[in-house]
Amino acid sequence: MKKTLLCALALTLALGTALPGAAALTRGPAAGKTVKVGVIADVTGSGAVYGTMQKNAYDLANDDVKTGIIDAGGASLSFDVEDAASDPAQVVNLMQKFTTDGSTPLVLGPTLSGEAFRAFPIAKAANFPVMGTSTTAEGVTAIGPTVFRDSLAESQAIPPTVARVQQTWHAKTVAIIYGDDNAFTKTDGDLFAREFQKTGASVVDTETFHIGDKDFGPALTKIASKKPDAIAIGGLFPEATQIIAQAGKLGIKAHMVGGNGLNSTQMYQTAGPASVGVVVGAAWYIGGKYTGNLEFVQRFKAKYGTTPDQFAAQAYAAAQVVASLVKAGAVTKDAMLAGLRNVRVVQTVLGPIAFDQNRDVKAAPVVLKIVKGGFAYF
Amino acid sequence: MLAQQLVNGLFLGAVYALFAVGYTLVFGVLDILNLAHAAIYMIAAFTAYSLVAHGLPIGVAFVGGVILAGVVGILLDRIAFAPLRRRNAGTLVPLISSIGAAIIIGAIARGIYGIDERHFVEGGIDSPPIHLGPVTFTAVEALIFATAIVLMLVLSYVLRATTLGRNIRAVSQDRIAAALLGVNIERTIAATFFIASALGGAAGILTGLEYNSVSIDMAGSIELKGLAVIILGGMGSITGAVIGGFVIGAVETFAVAYGLSEWRDALTFGVMFVILVARPAGIFGARALRNA
Amino acid sequence: MTFFVQFYAQHSRLLDEIGINALLALSLSVSLQAGQLALAQAGFAGIAAYVSAIASMQYHWPLFASILLAVACSTLVAALLAYPVRRLRGIFLAIATVGFGEIVRVIVNNLSITGGAEGLSGIPNDVNTGIIYGSLAVVAIALFGLARTKFALAVALTREDEAAARGVGVDTGLVRFASLALGGAIAGLAGALYAHAFYFLAPADFGFPRMEEILVWCVIGGVTSPIGAVAGAAFLSILPEIIRGLADFREITNGIILLVVILFAPSGLSVLWRARRATVPRDA
Repeated sequence: MKKTLLCALALTLALGTALPGAAALTRGPAAGKTVKVGVIADVTGSGAVYGTMQKNAYDLANDDVKTGIIDAGGASLSFDVEDAASDPAQVVNLMQKFTTDGSTPLVLGPTLSGEAFRAFPIAKAANFPVMGTSTTAEGVTAIGPTVFRDSLAESQAIPPTVARVQQTWHAKTVAIIYGDDNAFTKTDGDLFAREFQKTGASVVDTETFHIGDKDFGPALTKIASKKPDAIAIGGLFPEATQIIAQAGKLGIKAHMVGGNGLNSTQMYQTAGPASVGVVVGAAWYIGGKYTGNLEFVQRFKAKYGTTPDQFAAQAYAAAQVVASLVKAGAVTKDAMLAGLRNVRVVQTVLGPIAFDQNRDVKAAPVVLKIVKGGFAYF
Repeated sequence: MLAQQLVNGLFLGAVYALFAVGYTLVFGVLDILNLAHAAIYMIAAFTAYSLVAHGLPIGVAFVGGVILAGVVGILLDRIAFAPLRRRNAGTLVPLISSIGAAIIIGAIARGIYGIDERHFVEGGIDSPPIHLGPVTFTAVEALIFATAIVLMLVLSYVLRATTLGRNIRAVSQDRIAAALLGVNIERTIAATFFIASALGGAAGILTGLEYNSVSIDMAGSIELKGLAVIILGGMGSITGAVIGGFVIGAVETFAVAYGLSEWRDALTFGVMFVILVARPAGIFGARALRNA
Repeated sequence: MTFFVQFYAQHSRLLDEIGINALLALSLSVSLQAGQLALAQAGFAGIAAYVSAIASMQYHWPLFASILLAVACSTLVAALLAYPVRRLRGIFLAIATVGFGEIVRVIVNNLSITGGAEGLSGIPNDVNTGIIYGSLAVVAIALFGLARTKFALAVALTREDEAAARGVGVDTGLVRFASLALGGAIAGLAGALYAHAFYFLAPADFGFPRMEEILVWCVIGGVTSPIGAVAGAAFLSILPEIIRGLADFREITNGIILLVVILFAPSGLSVLWRARRATVPRDA
């Protein structure tokens, strides 16, 4: 009798833990508590292309917490996205609001690195934990001991990518084209030049562009005249797609490589066949078999009609990290901070996430190439 | 390579010129700097995109977008400028009004289309490169260039040889005298806005086709450039705007060609500044509206 | 009492922004009162911001010295700019000064001492709300004092009718020069304070969108009224936070408010309260 009961119990437990997506499956120390996490994102304004993706990811995360796909240990966790409208003043006001009104134990965002340099010192002064999901400039996490980042920095992404492509391409000459009025793209340009030179290639031409430029005829004409083996693009996808498409139109045949900023399916959608073969040093692979990633992509596409890009994935991963901390019982800012400092590994759509002693994410870039309709491993 | 850069400059300049022509027409007739012109440029491109997305051929979509732009221009005048005209509010106030209108148009576009870039043709417009000696371009690019030129020639004809054109020139020279001579001022102004906005819209659609990309931040990139162009050419001069467009296109192209790409905007505005200081009337002088 | 302490703890940044924006609005108002549509104040502020930041960070100058240096630089640039644009009027002056602002932005973007596109981060945060409002008070008192002098009369005459002003012996050239230089000084002060209050500078901080913003503040508040300029700056700085609840409709609400105010009160909101006092109608 006891044995049957025990067997039944064991069976129920086994079934219970095996059933995916069952709500309130685990009840952690925070069960029943309401936790709202503040997010600062540029849903409108110049950063809207990235901020909207982030907002969409957080809204999806809210759904997923409710259905149990994201396990918050029974807590009522939600992500409250506030639009900073790409206005530095609003970013600052929101950061002050979040760090003083007690509404949230942690702040995620803002979208742009420049905004982070303005807002994170406020968090530092308030000893408040913050996590950037897209602010990849140099020195962001160095702002203070409460600043974390789950997005791969350019300095982490570019060197391994260049080493990898050179193993296959052995390019002797390279041209660099990068955006000169944006911190992200400029860093990329500098890094590409340095890393290619380390592999023995020489930089035969350097061209710059401005964010918002559409016409790259003059720059590409010059590059074409130098006939480089490879072209490195320090840019974000709105400009990168034009560069690649126009290079195709001019008949340029060099290998092309870019950083994180090109990790969007917009690349093929805008530039078409000209973009096939372009290599991207990315922080996330849309087809990567990380825990729950493929399902995430499907749910995102079902909800919004477009596939997620890297910005969305990094935001969603941050949500997953936060959920795991909440599940372990962190509902106050101090507990959140302690949790972030001691977190081992969290399985996310980006793969396993852990933070190094500089509070940057411990990860390597995944080197991809553009194929028809998407990406594949390089 | 020089020949190719020249062609690059011409193509770029043609669309700048088309955009600037609308800007300068409104200024010449009304002394108003319409900062919503760039927003109309953008919304016309989106309209054409929508029409194409619904299966209409590009020619029809182009005409549709241009007409919509013209209509928006008339509405813009009715709502944002005409009331101020009646109150004699000067030149600064309509400028602010146009800023408000631009924000509203931008917000509507964002509401309808979102922040994503839209494409006329997914995967790129298939237009094989044409090689003409040292120069390479695509058929689509050539068509866009030709369309811009044709539109400007049409404008020039309208201004020179039609009654409407005559009325527009009269109103721009002396509104009171024109009224005394029997010109219907409000109707002429409405027509001016229609034409100016239609041309601005055409520039937007052509730009969208050129790069196979339509997005709400199109407006921001061209706004200031248009100013430089019309100053260069002389505010109120159509010919000036056209020449100005090509000059700025050339300045930008050759700045890149000679390794000064980071200084491109400074050069453009530097040229504009020098013209303003040395010859405020621009290359083609005077605030009177000239025929092309 | 605790209410105020808490309010300040949660909104001190917004208060700082309002103070600095008020200074920027005043710097433009000074030009507008002289009838000059000189849209270079954002550029002046940017120059001063970078000068004061670099002075503190690279050369370890104390705060007040770096602010003084910054204001001196921006005033000097304004004075130098006054010469080439002396014969420009109306929209032409506006566009020339906008062009100047863009040239400044590009220069700042391309130099390495300014941090270029990456910007300047880690600027010491040694300006607090007290210093900002203290500076605003000093400038306000100074302008108030100036308003009672004959110079102010010369300025008003130049604005209303330049030829007539010259006819009665006003040195309009001097008026225009002085107003631009004064605008440069006030904008410079705003820029230097901004740098030391917000940790980070980027070239885009003082570009054309910023200048547009300042212009809108002044026109909404009242083109020829310094109080109007400050009120306009305060109102429009707080607006995004007040209508935050409108989420997706914030942007269009912004545009509608702008349009409605300008159509119903083209002379600015300040005229509305002035009209209640005076019996003689004055269109500003």
